[in-house]
Amino acid sequence: MPDKKALRIALVGRPNTGKSSLFNRLTGLNQKVGNYPGITMERTTGLAKWAPGVLAEVIDLPGVYSLHASSTDEEVVMEALLQEAPEERIDRVIGLADGTNLKTCLFVFSQVLDLGLPAVLAVTMRDEMERRGMELKTEELAATLGCAVILVNTRTGEGLDALREAVLRAEPSGKLPFFQPGGLHLRWLAQVQEDQSMALPYRAWLWGLKEAQVGKSDRLQQPPPRARTDEAIQRYRQVNQWLRAFFVADPVKDRRWTARLDRVVVHPIWGSVILFGLLFLLFQGLFYGSEAPMNFIDDQLAALSTWLTDHLPSGFLAHLLSHGVVPGIAGVLMFIPQIALLFAFISLLEESGYMARVVFIMDRFMRPFGLSGKSVVPMVSGTACAIPAIMSTRNMENSRERFLAIAVTPLITCSARLPVYALLIGLVIPNSAWMGMNLRGVVLLGLYALGFVAALAGSALLHRWMPAKKTPAFLLEMPPYRWPQGRNVLTAVWNRTKSFVTEAGKIILAISIILWFLASFGPNRTPDFTQERAPLPIEESYIGYAGKAIEPVMAPLGFDWKVSVAVVSSFVAREVFVGTMATLYSVDDEDNTTIRAQMAREVNPRTGQPYFTLAVGVSLLLFYAFAMQCASTFAVVARETKSYRFAVIQFIVLGALAYGVAWIAYAMLV
Amino acid sequence: MFLSDLPLGQRAIVLQTPDSLPVKLFEMGCMPGEEIELVFAAPFQDPMCFRVQGTLISMRRDLAKLIPITSPDAR
Repeated sequence: MPDKKALRIALVGRPNTGKSSLFNRLTGLNQKVGNYPGITMERTTGLAKWAPGVLAEVIDLPGVYSLHASSTDEEVVMEALLQEAPEERIDRVIGLADGTNLKTCLFVFSQVLDLGLPAVLAVTMRDEMERRGMELKTEELAATLGCAVILVNTRTGEGLDALREAVLRAEPSGKLPFFQPGGLHLRWLAQVQEDQSMALPYRAWLWGLKEAQVGKSDRLQQPPPRARTDEAIQRYRQVNQWLRAFFVADPVKDRRWTARLDRVVVHPIWGSVILFGLLFLLFQGLFYGSEAPMNFIDDQLAALSTWLTDHLPSGFLAHLLSHGVVPGIAGVLMFIPQIALLFAFISLLEESGYMARVVFIMDRFMRPFGLSGKSVVPMVSGTACAIPAIMSTRNMENSRERFLAIAVTPLITCSARLPVYALLIGLVIPNSAWMGMNLRGVVLLGLYALGFVAALAGSALLHRWMPAKKTPAFLLEMPPYRWPQGRNVLTAVWNRTKSFVTEAGKIILAISIILWFLASFGPNRTPDFTQERAPLPIEESYIGYAGKAIEPVMAPLGFDWKVSVAVVSSFVAREVFVGTMATLYSVDDEDNTTIRAQMAREVNPRTGQPYFTLAVGVSLLLFYAFAMQCASTFAVVARETKSYRFAVIQFIVLGALAYGVAWIAYAMLV
Repeated sequence: MFLSDLPLGQRAIVLQTPDSLPVKLFEMGCMPGEEIELVFAAPFQDPMCFRVQGTLISMRRDLAKLIPITSPDAR
């Protein structure tokens, strides 16, 4: 079947105008999350059949306050709207306007109209307008703008059919222009139009100002000062005129509960109490709420693994499937409950309007670290697991901050470190009291604190070192509070989970199989896949040899070859350390106490004393605190940053840091 | 007087701003001649949140320090 060209429809509007609600309404779950070329910003598109023979490709562009570029968001929108190549060109624009806050919305929309694109204005929040006694004379506004104006309700779907119809019929407005540059600006614009042979003045205006700002084109004359400022003033004057003529608000009914709620939510004391309460809930939810589904997934896959071993003739294939592929799949599926929970939580925060308040409350605190309040969410969820935490950075608009957050999140004490910490603390820290508290508990708490301190300090250092390109000014709109829409939350959860499984999942599975191979084969011995136990002793596998090979390197840290092998093999996931130790000490049951007892009996051949001294234990603890010992984190970082280089550098830097800290600690304690 | 000096709940009028300020400020609706009100502020008055043209815009104190204002009666 020949690929019929879809009608490309872009959604353009200010943030918080119900854009994603409308998008979800127009496309359903048939969405594709991709990237804009060249940058890591997400691009969501959706296909839908709008009429017999009419396929619509709806593109959800980032929310912007203006088409002029202040940040990547606006650049993306401008680039999309200025596109002229036939297969990339935008055929129709749906402009969005929050009916309760039309002024700034009409500002952007008048820019869109001036581009000469066939557009329709969708006015959202219809129900709220009615409640607040607001009335918009849509027909008069439509006549003035020269395009259709449709009231929609994204909760009930009211007005959507009319909107689709209007979009299909839309034509460029005949009422242009809504902005007329004056004097010097006009002369400059005429020059740009002539040089670039651009017929439409506003297209040349946008393009010329962008080029002048980037400084790319030296043939371009610098525009006279205050070009954008003058445009803003003129457009607002225009918009205010429209609103005076076509918009009525009843001041008695217009009571804002946002203002009342804000008295508590951003209160210096209550605001912090509420925020930390919510973060505590998130922490609890990620830890305990995901436990049951994770155990379920674990049990099912363990059962599958056993079934495979029982039903397949024992040999290479059975072992590969049960020990390489199934654990790999488990390593992907296990993260789903946490990812789903975290994204439901984030989506609720964003939808309700609370996320902007989080940024506001935390801004002063996070500023020295180069982060904003948005980083609080990945930092807190990192205590459960770095995978969903790193994925949650997608909701950050500032790419520099996102980079910092991804770089340092693996330092936060995640739940996979707990078994390792528990084993080692039980081994080398005496079970005694310290200032009325259990010393082991204090050490564990200290390790958690260390994780946060290391992450924040790391971010502050990177922030200092990284060449700061012009950072966009901190100008943040506080949207009004709104009830989140279940449909939007579900769509967000679905899209995130799907992209994790299909993208990072592939890498995790591949690494799992490679590590299985390295653990099951060795250079000097043919593996025997017919027996119950491992195909060959771990010390004779490639991983075993690698562990022994790096023993001299690890010696300054106090690690012997067994510990080195365990450290190398726990690159799959940190908790593998415990299992590997059990194998190396030939402990059959993986009970913590049994392994610990066995390890406690280990004697250092040089000193004749127990091998696991305080020095070795602390050195190991610190190594695990800093090193990025997690294949899944590596995979997710590579996927989120679109850069294996980033992931490799991060792995090396954190590894070197772990090595250095463990070395110093060992040297001081031994 | 500058925007950073505005007491909580008070209104003022934005005066002509220096050209060096981000244009995004204008595009979000905060421009000369408009009425502006300090709605709430974080501890140490940083950041601060203002209502202007019906929108709540928050900004850091160092930016608010650069925006000159006058009392609404002066108009």
